Amino acid sequence: MTFFGFRKVSVFICLFGVLCSCGGPQQFLEPLPDTVDFNFHVRPILVQNCYLCHGPDSSGRKAELRLDIFEGATAELEDGGYAIVPGKPSKSQLVHRINHKDDDQVMPPPETNHKLSEREKALLEKWIDQGAEWKDHWAFLKPEISDPNAAALNIDAYIDARIEEKGLVKSPLANKNALIRRLSYILTGLPPSPNAIQNFIADTSENAYENLVDHYLNSPAYGERWARHWMDLIRYAETKGHEFDYEITGAWKYRDYLIRAFNDDIPYNQLVKEHLAGDLLDLPRYNEKTGTLESHLGTAFYAMGEGTHSPVDIQKDEADRIDNIIDVTSKTFLGLTVSCARCHDHKFDPILTADYYSLYGVIQSTRFSPLSVDHSYLKENTHQEIQELKKYIRKTVAEKWEGEDLGMEKLLVKDDNPSIKAYATQNTRYNVLGDFGHTGLDGWKSDGLAFGEQTTLGNPLIQGISGELKSLDEGKVSSKFYDTGIFGVLRSPNFVLDSDFIGVRARGAKSTIRIIIDNFQLIQNPIYGNLTQKINEPNWKNHVFNVAPWKGHKAYIEILPGGYSSHSYELPIDAYVEAQYAISYDTEWPSEIKKKEESIANKMNLATLDISSKQIKTLNNLLQQKRLPSQFPELRPIVDSINKLALKLKSNSFIYGVSDGFAVNSPIFNRGNHQEPSEDSIPQGFLSALPLGKVPFKSQGSGRLELADAILSSDNPLTARVMVNRIWHYLFGKGIVETVDNFGLQGKLPSHPELLDYLAVKFKTEGWSIKSSIKHIVLSETFKRSTSKDKGNIQKDADNLYLACFPVRRLEAEAFRDGLLATSESLDSTLYGPPVATYLTDFMQGRGRPSKSGPLNGDNRRSIYLEVRRNFLEPMMTTFDRPIPFSTFGKRDVTNVPSQSLIIMNNPFVAKRAEIMAQKLLAQGELSFEDRIEWIYVRAFSRKPTIDELGKATEFIEMLKNMEHQQETEMDEELMIWKEYCHSIFNLKEFLYLI
Amino acid sequence: MSKYHNFMQRPLSRREMLGICKGGFGSLAFMSMFGVLPFGCSRPKNIASDSSLYLGPHYMPKAKNVIFLYMDGGVSQVDSFDPKPRLAKENGEDPKKKFKVDATQFDNVGKILKSPWEFKQYGECGMPVSELFPHIATCVDDIALIRSMVSNFPEHTNANYFLHTGSGIQGRPSMGSWMTYGLGSENKNIPGYIVLDGGLIPPGGLDNFKNGFLPASYQASILRAGAEPVANIRPKEAIQNLQEEKLQFIKRLDDTFLGKMGEVDAVESAISNYELAYNMQSSIPELTEFSEESPVTKKLYGMDSDDPHTRGYAAQCLLARRLVERGVRFIELTCPKVKADRWDQHSNLKDGHERNAHAVDQPIAGLLKDLKSRGLLEETLVVWTGEFGRTPFAQGSDGRDHNPSAFSMWMAGAGIKGGTIFGRTDDYGYRVIENEVTIHDLHATIMHLLGINHEHLTFRFGGRDMRLTDVHGHVIKDILA
Repeated sequence: MTFFGFRKVSVFICLFGVLCSCGGPQQFLEPLPDTVDFNFHVRPILVQNCYLCHGPDSSGRKAELRLDIFEGATAELEDGGYAIVPGKPSKSQLVHRINHKDDDQVMPPPETNHKLSEREKALLEKWIDQGAEWKDHWAFLKPEISDPNAAALNIDAYIDARIEEKGLVKSPLANKNALIRRLSYILTGLPPSPNAIQNFIADTSENAYENLVDHYLNSPAYGERWARHWMDLIRYAETKGHEFDYEITGAWKYRDYLIRAFNDDIPYNQLVKEHLAGDLLDLPRYNEKTGTLESHLGTAFYAMGEGTHSPVDIQKDEADRIDNIIDVTSKTFLGLTVSCARCHDHKFDPILTADYYSLYGVIQSTRFSPLSVDHSYLKENTHQEIQELKKYIRKTVAEKWEGEDLGMEKLLVKDDNPSIKAYATQNTRYNVLGDFGHTGLDGWKSDGLAFGEQTTLGNPLIQGISGELKSLDEGKVSSKFYDTGIFGVLRSPNFVLDSDFIGVRARGAKSTIRIIIDNFQLIQNPIYGNLTQKINEPNWKNHVFNVAPWKGHKAYIEILPGGYSSHSYELPIDAYVEAQYAISYDTEWPSEIKKKEESIANKMNLATLDISSKQIKTLNNLLQQKRLPSQFPELRPIVDSINKLALKLKSNSFIYGVSDGFAVNSPIFNRGNHQEPSEDSIPQGFLSALPLGKVPFKSQGSGRLELADAILSSDNPLTARVMVNRIWHYLFGKGIVETVDNFGLQGKLPSHPELLDYLAVKFKTEGWSIKSSIKHIVLSETFKRSTSKDKGNIQKDADNLYLACFPVRRLEAEAFRDGLLATSESLDSTLYGPPVATYLTDFMQGRGRPSKSGPLNGDNRRSIYLEVRRNFLEPMMTTFDRPIPFSTFGKRDVTNVPSQSLIIMNNPFVAKRAEIMAQKLLAQGELSFEDRIEWIYVRAFSRKPTIDELGKATEFIEMLKNMEHQQETEMDEELMIWKEYCHSIFNLKEFLYLI
Repeated sequence: MSKYHNFMQRPLSRREMLGICKGGFGSLAFMSMFGVLPFGCSRPKNIASDSSLYLGPHYMPKAKNVIFLYMDGGVSQVDSFDPKPRLAKENGEDPKKKFKVDATQFDNVGKILKSPWEFKQYGECGMPVSELFPHIATCVDDIALIRSMVSNFPEHTNANYFLHTGSGIQGRPSMGSWMTYGLGSENKNIPGYIVLDGGLIPPGGLDNFKNGFLPASYQASILRAGAEPVANIRPKEAIQNLQEEKLQFIKRLDDTFLGKMGEVDAVESAISNYELAYNMQSSIPELTEFSEESPVTKKLYGMDSDDPHTRGYAAQCLLARRLVERGVRFIELTCPKVKADRWDQHSNLKDGHERNAHAVDQPIAGLLKDLKSRGLLEETLVVWTGEFGRTPFAQGSDGRDHNPSAFSMWMAGAGIKGGTIFGRTDDYGYRVIENEVTIHDLHATIMHLLGINHEHLTFRFGGRDMRLTDVHGHVIKDILA
């Protein structure tokens, strides 16, 4: 396949189009290619000019003609003829129409404001003449290395080939000073230390550079830098925005998880899996050092969106929330803009509205949930141990009773009461939504450890001191199954609200029961206040929820120890909640609830006391009548052990993530309007145009695991390409595909498609290692080239698309601020932890404003640790183009506005760094003037000053001294002078830019 | 002065040269092709590659500038510009027996509540205005009133985002950003999109004024009263002229750096940015220097009022006029912080609306008159609106809840047919029954008056050519002169 550079074409067309329209054989500034390629030459023209009316979206299609597929383009037209007859341009209506002189006939129609250039027309004609060969969109073809045996398989070979082809001149390699500054900033987001510079300059060994690369990749600062890149993709924020900007529980723990994951070089496929379905993995990943569970933390990305606290239309709120998740998920992992298909089939890409709603079902079946961050391997072992001990107790009790004559045979008669769900009494119709009088959880789902895996039915209640068995426990769900303060949530299956009230009979302390309607979480007044209730009484009580306004909506009940304070989850150490049953009903609480009956247990179950509630009652009666042995002194130490072990299960650190719900299939919403659902539902599934896309998911839950598998399938053409392209983008400031978040038909074409495929294949086959991929790229000559541009290249490749030299880059917001801290030797490089509160200026006003400002200097921490409050974003960060967290931003803008200059000139944070740097300088003791300037230059620019710069510094300092004499200030004169000098240094473009 | 000049003298870059040659309305259409900078912005890279989508004025604009008077919280239409005698007749009756009542934000539906204020007809056109706005009432012949506005959202934050960005969720560019993206600024030394913070930033926060996916160059600059009206605008150097000295030193070294690197547009623009920043340091504080304004003018705006909130808002309005004079494209005024909070009277309607109205009424009328007498009203569009209206029935006993199904707003000035009343609500002022106007229509109309076809001002993001009006919006022709 031959590939051609396209980016310049359109510019040439506007500037030189006039010259070309003078008849005769067409002469174009860029000659037509020998072979016209559909993907690289033809499709871009069709996408830009034709697909709005003749593309994949059937709703807006004109004349029944579609030009996005071969069958469509070559089918007979409504009024006879064919749009395209391969090999026969003269018989192709398309050629006829694009050249038509009549405004009513010419395509595209003039009112669309689209017009084909002469070159574009010539390309289309030549392509048809050559047989109109059709190809799938390049990004939907599996990446392949065209010639695996070629000797020249390395990055430079691919890059050099294009440089040669374009007749460009390569720049020499950058000098060591520039290189170490570039490498250090790009890999770690910090300037190189003076020591590192010295060592690197002195190290003349062959491996010097590679060692440096390894050094930076292994530095913890690497993880901080690359985690922040990732945070741009998943709209990282620590609050929910909207009106009061509520906190997102433990968001920062996700940030720390990312930093660890990047530093530990967790393979990318694992990272993807953890994001999409980290809570569902067969083989969860634990932290090697602490043993805490890592993999479920990835799911916090789902919960990073905006949150509305009192939407009047709760279903619309859900639709918007899910749309945002689909948008972010598809852009981040696939480089596709799937949410364009919310209202109609994608206008350009083969993404159907049905695809959108197959993913909608996946997200709809996913429930937001706090997760226990201190959940660990140890906890799981302890949990196992306790369960064994509990089993042992039951067994001991059962064995002791075995010899007794209990008349058990009578008890074991099969109970023929069928299990019934709904009953009607005279006054009240009610449904039993959950009956916990039996062993099982009645189909409810228990997450975390608190509720165990069954009800308390039959638990021998043994006094730890005496060893006396008081009774066997009755059936109820209890978060105190082991102890209070243990994390877990019990959730019902989904049901449709059809009654006025939901009732839960419950008791507990400092705990909560919530009715979750349409997955809506930010429950509070006005409107939703009644849907959450505090459970804070030791006696059984009927809790009533009025759900009448939401009849017809889908809902589930959530029972959880602890609760939400301003929507942030907390679990007090003594919190617990227990429930007997849950019902829905109209008018009043039914006076008698007929419970569901279970078929009676057989004799085998007696050993575990796993028997029906009726039998338990009988046994308890026997116990009370002292007809059963009740003294179990031998169990005292066991009970004691259980109590001690249970303490280890308590949790106090949480993050907001997700948990699996029950499978929901969504209907299609006509034109995106949730009030117009289609009759049929779309099964959960993946994008139909991609491998595994045509098979509906089989999961009983959300299907997220299957989604992850589809995204990571070895046949998926996008996942690896998208990620290596992101890596390339972060290293060079521009991706091989410039539109890093859009590999669809409207995205840019790759500048080096073979290179992209080579990197993608290598990435996959070599274990999805991000660090290896980075290392591989930065070791190339391409990365090491200097930024100096060959004059001749400017004409031929003004945008440096072919990388004959390294592109000059501005530091990102964080790198600039962190650079100031590092240069002034005031950086606190502590890793991890809660965010540093946002420094609030007078300009940052409005609802939800924190009562207290954070420190101006951000506690000298790296910028990644500064709080990200949606409604109070750090002005310095946003001014230097950190994206607003609402969607995926794989590529930041690089704007150039006076407010940036004003920050560096006048912001007190910057000035203070200068003062601190001056203090550090003066604390060095007696340095010569030249040494002082060098001390500053090495820190700021990773190099020594030139003679000229020394001269200019001398003049400037002299001038400052003269100025000083005219005025009195409080500051020590020398400090003042050096402060002003350092401040000027920070304002230099060489500080802000990487060469 | 010599130092100052020294710093300022820099040969024009190729790009600036081109810009000056073509001159005039510094539109982005131009920037995108030749890289001229509107107020020091580097050109956005991902403008739709289709060059036929013409950015910049599409036809002769009527308005050069917009002053957007934001009535945060939602003014009650039936108490201001949309009189409903039936409310008085049925005062105290159950609204649910009269009409279908939608779910409301506070779910606390009370009885039908008559307006506590009388309406009178004003001007040649005879437009009825309530006692709340005696001053604005004197300007009705310049005003086109729309009584048939609807919003998609009954919650403040969503409705604010919707009004400001055309989408109810966070993250879209605000209308001021779109206007400056489309038209640039006429003043190199003042940002093209300014929000005058009167004390209340609307729910949703500064995101109402952000650039969304447009380059950060197009976000609003927030101007506040006080010694530092714009963030970081004051030099902090303790010694006079020191900043100039530093800037000269910086410039010399930067030029050397640039020389070493060859032509690097980004670095070159970053250098010229310092010049703009430097100029802003003097041009911004000068804005709030009212000493050159006559006592008569000040009085006209109400700067001598006993009510401190009136005085505060008067200063904002006067400042808005000064910004218009300096070619600032889009100016939004947020509400003053009166004792009763924004216009959001869920209770105590009478007290709250009166306080809010008193704060803004005279200053707004003063602004309209002052603009008119200076001939500026012909080229300035003044927009007055809240994010939604309020219910004709009470919330509790003496408040009104949010009502997105009908509200009133007005426009005056450039291209507007004064004395017009457009659209109609039902007898209760609860729902629109004639000529419904959406927020998208409002945006389309504002853009139209600025010479922009709302369907053609686009920005490629996430695979789509995004518009302020999404796929909606019709220009409201009936209110145009």
